[in-house]
Amino acid sequence: MSTSTYKKQDAYASSGNLPDKMAIFQECLQQFNASPVNAKKCRQLLAKLLRLIYHGEQFPSQESTTLFFSISKLFQHKDSSLRQLVYLTIKELSSTSDDILMVTSSIMRDIQGGDIIYKPNAIRTLSKVLDSTTVNAAERLFKNAIVDKNPVISSAALISSYNLLPNSKEVVKRFTNETLESIQSHKVFPSNQFQLHEFYGNSTSKLPTTSYMYQYHALGLLYHLRNHDKMALMKLITSLSEGSALKNSLSIIQLIKYIHKILIEDEALIGHLYPILAAFLKHKSDMVELEACKTLVSLQHLIKDDQFMAIINTLQKLLGVPRTATRFAAIRLINKISVKHPEKILVVNSELEGLINDENRSISTLAITTLLKTMGAGTIDTGSVGGESVDRLISKMTSLMGEITEDFKIVIIEAIENLALKFPAKHKKLVSFLTDLLRDDGTLPLKTSIVNALFDLIKFLPDAGAKQLILMNLCEFIEDCEFAELSVRILHLLGDEGPHTTNPSYYIRHIYNRLVLENSIVRSSAIIALAKFAAVCGGHVSKNIQILLSRCLNDADDEVRDRAALSLKFIKANHKNFVVSDSKYDLASLESKLTHYLNDESNFDTKFDISEVPLLTSEELKSIEYNRKINKLDSGVTESSDAVGNEDRGKESGDKLSAGDSLSNDLLKQQEYSQELSAIPEFADYGTLSKSTITPVYLTERENEFVVTVIKHFFIDSQKLVLQYNITNTLPRSVLQDISVIAQPDNELYEEDFIIPISELKPDQSGDVYVSFSTPSITDGDILVAFGNTVAYTNKDVIDEEGNVDQRDDGWSDEYQIDDLEVSAGDFETPLYNSNFTAVYDQLDNTDSSVVTISGVDTLDNAITRLKTSLNLMPLDGSDFVPSDATSHVLKLLGKDVWGGKVAVMARLALTGGKVVAKIEAKSETETFSSIITSGAY
Amino acid sequence: MALNISLYTISAVLILDNEGSRLYAKYYNPPAIDGPPQSQTQLLSQQQPHQLSNDNQFQTLSQQLKFEKELFSKVNKIHQDIILYDNHLITYKQSNDIILLVVAKINENESLIYSIMANLFESLNILLDNTIDRATILDKYDIVTLTIDETIDDGIIIETDPAIIVSRVTNPPSNQIDVHVNIDKGLFDAFSFASKKISERLQQGL
Repeated sequence: MSTSTYKKQDAYASSGNLPDKMAIFQECLQQFNASPVNAKKCRQLLAKLLRLIYHGEQFPSQESTTLFFSISKLFQHKDSSLRQLVYLTIKELSSTSDDILMVTSSIMRDIQGGDIIYKPNAIRTLSKVLDSTTVNAAERLFKNAIVDKNPVISSAALISSYNLLPNSKEVVKRFTNETLESIQSHKVFPSNQFQLHEFYGNSTSKLPTTSYMYQYHALGLLYHLRNHDKMALMKLITSLSEGSALKNSLSIIQLIKYIHKILIEDEALIGHLYPILAAFLKHKSDMVELEACKTLVSLQHLIKDDQFMAIINTLQKLLGVPRTATRFAAIRLINKISVKHPEKILVVNSELEGLINDENRSISTLAITTLLKTMGAGTIDTGSVGGESVDRLISKMTSLMGEITEDFKIVIIEAIENLALKFPAKHKKLVSFLTDLLRDDGTLPLKTSIVNALFDLIKFLPDAGAKQLILMNLCEFIEDCEFAELSVRILHLLGDEGPHTTNPSYYIRHIYNRLVLENSIVRSSAIIALAKFAAVCGGHVSKNIQILLSRCLNDADDEVRDRAALSLKFIKANHKNFVVSDSKYDLASLESKLTHYLNDESNFDTKFDISEVPLLTSEELKSIEYNRKINKLDSGVTESSDAVGNEDRGKESGDKLSAGDSLSNDLLKQQEYSQELSAIPEFADYGTLSKSTITPVYLTERENEFVVTVIKHFFIDSQKLVLQYNITNTLPRSVLQDISVIAQPDNELYEEDFIIPISELKPDQSGDVYVSFSTPSITDGDILVAFGNTVAYTNKDVIDEEGNVDQRDDGWSDEYQIDDLEVSAGDFETPLYNSNFTAVYDQLDNTDSSVVTISGVDTLDNAITRLKTSLNLMPLDGSDFVPSDATSHVLKLLGKDVWGGKVAVMARLALTGGKVVAKIEAKSETETFSSIITSGAY
Repeated sequence: MALNISLYTISAVLILDNEGSRLYAKYYNPPAIDGPPQSQTQLLSQQQPHQLSNDNQFQTLSQQLKFEKELFSKVNKIHQDIILYDNHLITYKQSNDIILLVVAKINENESLIYSIMANLFESLNILLDNTIDRATILDKYDIVTLTIDETIDDGIIIETDPAIIVSRVTNPPSNQIDVHVNIDKGLFDAFSFASKKISERLQQGL
């Protein structure tokens, strides 16, 4: 008790404590209604009220309205400093009060005849209390204020109009001329602008006469009034970018943003708009230069090489400025460029190296990750293992590692892992860097990220030597690892990878040490790891392990004993597949199946059928993981460069997963399709669905009268192809009936079986038309086909609001030709990962090759993307990465066809005279399929 | 993330004390501006979920407080001027026992957001007689709120020049004026009545 009273008397504490809400409320009512009003007291009271509001306290609607009402009493008092705060309070309370319209007339009176000091506040508050019905009354006020000679009033009116846009755009549209006039006019502050505070003294010469902020506000407003009209917008941009029409930096930034927006919508305008942007690359204000760079970098695919240099030069200059925020922004952009064009930023390497020691850790980390990327670009052509720059950087990083926080270390570790994955030739240095780091002290998240990185390297590095190196390092690590969960993971990995190495006994020794020294959790996982060695290696290894395991039968812990007994049993009975399994269930599909099963109790009569869940071989699993990894690399880079400063890894990993999970999502999607199709009786005897194309193909423009997409479903066993046309009726006043699709194959081996039409589509509804075909088998050789598609339907007009049609109306029949659909080789394939492409390629025997010109592309990069998507195969050995100055390239692709055989494609690409020519060599396990690949059109 | 072409630039202005609790917190919720033109309707329907998740982030007080608490642990006593945190661009300045933070969307112009923060800080510095600390801010809370209101309105930047911002903020009324007003009340009323009438006439005439 005594301490709390003491605290209350403490001056510091009392001023810091939040005032009591009810007390303030009561006092407000009392003081505001007093007569005469005490201005000083009221302003203090309002400040306290605002303190509550800005602290997050909320007044219930009724109290808020009462407050609002008594505050409106303060309009009787003429004091301008009180009035200014009254306006702020009204603005803050306007969202929670009911009767806000009652102050409208007071505010309008102030705008017309009030003091210059609070007139702008009144104008800005006005937009809060007006609604769409009363806004008309204020039209003239706004127009007058917008063209006012005083820039502050003009700005306030423009902002206020801007805030009215969502509700009363029609009224605000009438201000267009006044707004335009404001942009072009020159407004200066009145001479008494700076009279409020004496500390300006008499040195009026130094004070600004205008800030041109009204240009910024006017431009912002004008854009929204004009953005429906592209021509008018272009005219505005050209006129404002000439000379120095815009004097305010913010307004120029805004202009650049509009240019950016236009270019996103219409890339063809780059030729016209680039000179304008380039002119802003040299400007007296950093922020303008920065915005210009930003825009150009995000449009980098439109920019020619020599134009790139101008951007790099500006960024190089910005890297050297003292202001941290600008340097940070510049390096963020450089990092963004380095993702796509690392070779372009080699020129700033020396600046980047200087920035490694920047005191802002976000900057130094970004510098390192960027350097790691440019190094890859610098040495990829020669293929040499590292260069002196790698050594230098690594030694710099090693010295830096001691100083920086863990969050940044984790970012750097990821960057190194990515580098090692993209450029496997340089793994040795990078791996040794990682393992050194592993030996140092660190917390669990840091160690986990290192171990994760090493795990991925083991999985994806082609070199067996690298694998061994990492495994040995991990063995050493678990010798004295304080984190049980990491030990368990490493033991599991040793069990999987160890038996396939040349010296399994080395690992067995390390694992056995764990059995002797560790706690029960680690011991039990060590047992399983040992069992795997026994099962795979067999022979005397198996015998020795059986001896080791039998000792564990006397272990103190139940789990350990159980596992040892079970493992021994399996090994003795030679049940290898119980110990090591080559395949796993697809977890996402399994989960969805199980939820589906559990949701309906009637399902419980039958057993859950696990055979419906797709089994993934370890190879397929790897492809999924590899894809996820690479996707994360590419799509995540923009984010991850942001994440560098972000430091908060957990939150945005959610975003990354969504980008990277595409492949396992495909499996889930496939399962959905097969469920959908099996529900249709006509397809019941088609057997299991072999493959569906995942992304629907658009056969019409997306904003057509009706939008048609198609998905191809292949039933290989029963030799059927089902085309699922999804049709959406976008006509607002028409109902479509009896819709069917006539698909005309150009290959005679395809025979149409039947069509399932849609009976009716109301406006904005969509439905599926199925067309089934009997297909030739793979042995027939000619399985590629193109379909000419026509939609046939009966059209009826809607006669009432519910979308009903007149029963007597027969409507009229119509046909509508939509785009053709091709079945290409890619439709029969799925991507597959293997770390050793050459070995797989050499094993396959059905070879075929052809030379084709890849149409419609002018760079190697685009050609690779085209091949990758049209063949639907996985690029390996980082062969989808092309240095931008190369003229030839070898692309290695691997996949699996629907008949279960492997497919490997080696494409030698050459760039000659603006065309890309490819020699495609395809090898497949399935006979004749390789020729199908090479004969496909690209 | 989609390009922000509206004038709504600033997401929040915060002043936290040395323990991370708020002295001033204002989150701006920009309205969905501009009934989207027809060509964008389709786009919009795709973007909406994303936008929603972003806008809703500061809807409730507890979300805001959580954000401030986590942010504070990232910036307290680390003078870096600018960080990216939780998909926001944050510029800040720590002085004595307070931190002034300006929060914007992650793809805003870093240099611009930093100047807004720096200039706002400078304006406060002038108006609070070079003593920006917790006690002064709470003591002259009216000046602080007005300064921020004259710099940023609903997320729109009003002014960047500290001299101009300062010139717009009134000092609290002194008692002297109070007395003066009381004496001349009759005259004042007459004057205001006259000016009201005149302006009404003028408006009718117009």
